[in-house]
Amino acid sequence: MKSKVQPLEKDIQALKKDVIEGLRQCSHCKMCVGVCPTYEGWYTQSSMGRLAAIYAFLEYGLGSEKELSKLLFSCVACRRCQNICRAMSAGTETTDLIIKARNLLVKRSEAKGEDS
Amino acid sequence: MDKSYKHVIPTGHLYIKESVLEKGNVFGVSADKTTWAEGLDLPKKAEYTFFAGCGYQLMKYADGMMASVKTAEKMGVGMERVVGISKAFGKVGIDLAGITGKITAAGAKDVYTRALVSAVNVLKKLSVDLGYMGAEEPCCGSPLYYSGFAGDYIDNAQKNYVLFKSMGVKKIIGVVPACTASLKNAYPQYIHGYDLEVKHFIEVVADRLRKSSIKPFLKEKRTITYHDPCQLSRVLNLSKLTREVISRIGGLELREPEADQTGEWSTCCGGGGGMEVVFPELCERLAIRRINELMATGAPVIATSCPACMMQLIKGVSKLKARVKVVDLAEILDEALPK
Repeated sequence: MKSKVQPLEKDIQALKKDVIEGLRQCSHCKMCVGVCPTYEGWYTQSSMGRLAAIYAFLEYGLGSEKELSKLLFSCVACRRCQNICRAMSAGTETTDLIIKARNLLVKRSEAKGEDS
Repeated sequence: MDKSYKHVIPTGHLYIKESVLEKGNVFGVSADKTTWAEGLDLPKKAEYTFFAGCGYQLMKYADGMMASVKTAEKMGVGMERVVGISKAFGKVGIDLAGITGKITAAGAKDVYTRALVSAVNVLKKLSVDLGYMGAEEPCCGSPLYYSGFAGDYIDNAQKNYVLFKSMGVKKIIGVVPACTASLKNAYPQYIHGYDLEVKHFIEVVADRLRKSSIKPFLKEKRTITYHDPCQLSRVLNLSKLTREVISRIGGLELREPEADQTGEWSTCCGGGGGMEVVFPELCERLAIRRINELMATGAPVIATSCPACMMQLIKGVSKLKARVKVVDLAEILDEALPK
C-alpha cells in the first residue's frame, strides 16, 4: 500500500491548487448568503462563510479539519448559491468547491492512513 | 484498509458510502428492491431502460437507516463496514434487522413505490417500449460523490457502465433527479466513450405529449403547487419543461410560490446532499420553511418529482399538522392520461 502514498500526495496538491484557484474567484459580494436555505444568521451557515473557512484552512492553516468538516457537511448542495453567483456575480462554483473540499478531506485522511 | 475518516466525514455519510459499496444501495439493506414492479410485466430488455433508483425503491427504509446511524453515533461505533455495525449492535443487544424490519412491514405499500408504478404506467400509456433491470439495477453512486468520495464514485461509475453494456442497455429513462443527473451529466466526464442516452422521465413525457394527440385530463378539477427538486431544476434545467407538462393537463391549476422561490430559484426542502443523516433538526427546519412558502399559495396539494423531497415534505407537513397533501407529479399524470 505504501507505493500508493506518493501519487496520492500529488493528487492532494493538485486538488488543493484547483480549490484555491476556484475560491479566489469569489468577490465576497454576499449574494449567496441570503439564498442559502441553511442560513439562520451566521455567515458560516452560507456559501460565503463556508468558502472563507476552506480558504483560511488551506491557505493559512486556520481552524481544524473537524471544524471545517462540520461546516462543509451542513451544506445541502442545492446549488442555489451557485446559481445566483453565476447569474449576478463572479461565477464562483460555490457548491462544487464545497464538494471538492469534502473530497480533499477524504484524500488527506487516506494519505495519513491513520488507524481508528 | 485501516483508513479512518471518522474525524472528517460524518458517521451518516460513512454509513451511506459503505452501503453503496457493499450492498449496492443507499440505505444498506439487503431487501428485495424490485417488489414494486411485480405484475407490471417489464422485460429486462427493451428500447428504453427504466432506472428506478434507490430513492424511490427503498425510501421506506430511510427511517430505519437514520435510527441506526443515530445509535451508532451515540455508541461511537466506527463505520468501517456495514456488517461491522450490525455486529457491534448485536454485541449490545440491538437487532438492526429488527429495527428496519418493523418499519418495512408498516410501509409495505408506500408512497414512493406508488410513484414508480405511476411513472411506469404513464410511459406505457405514451407507448414507450420500456424495460427494467430488476435486481441487477445498480446504485448510480451519486451519494459517494456528494460525501467527498469522488474516487469511489468514479470506480462505481465505470463498473456500472460495464454492467449497462453487458445487459444491452442503450437508452435510460431516470425518475430520481439525482440519479438521472449523475448518469446524464457526471458519468460522461469519467467514462471514456460513454454512449448511453439518458433522459429524465419528464423529458420523455413532454416529448411524447408534443408529438401525440393524447390530451391528459383530470375528471375532478384540482389546484396544486409544485416544488422543484434542486437536481431537477438547477442541474438538469427541467423546470420549464415540467411546467409545460403540467399546463397540458386539463383540469389542473398550478399556483406558483413567489418568483424567487420557484423554478431555478426554488428553495431546498432539506432533502439534499445527504444532510438528513447529519443534521436532522436543521433539515426539519428547512422542510418547514419550504412548506410555509408553498402553503402561501393556498393550494391544497404539493406536487414534486423526487423521493428525498417527498420524504422531507411529508415529514414537515405532519410536523406542522398542515392540511395539505404531498403527491408525486407522476401520480397526477397517471390519473390524467386515458388508459
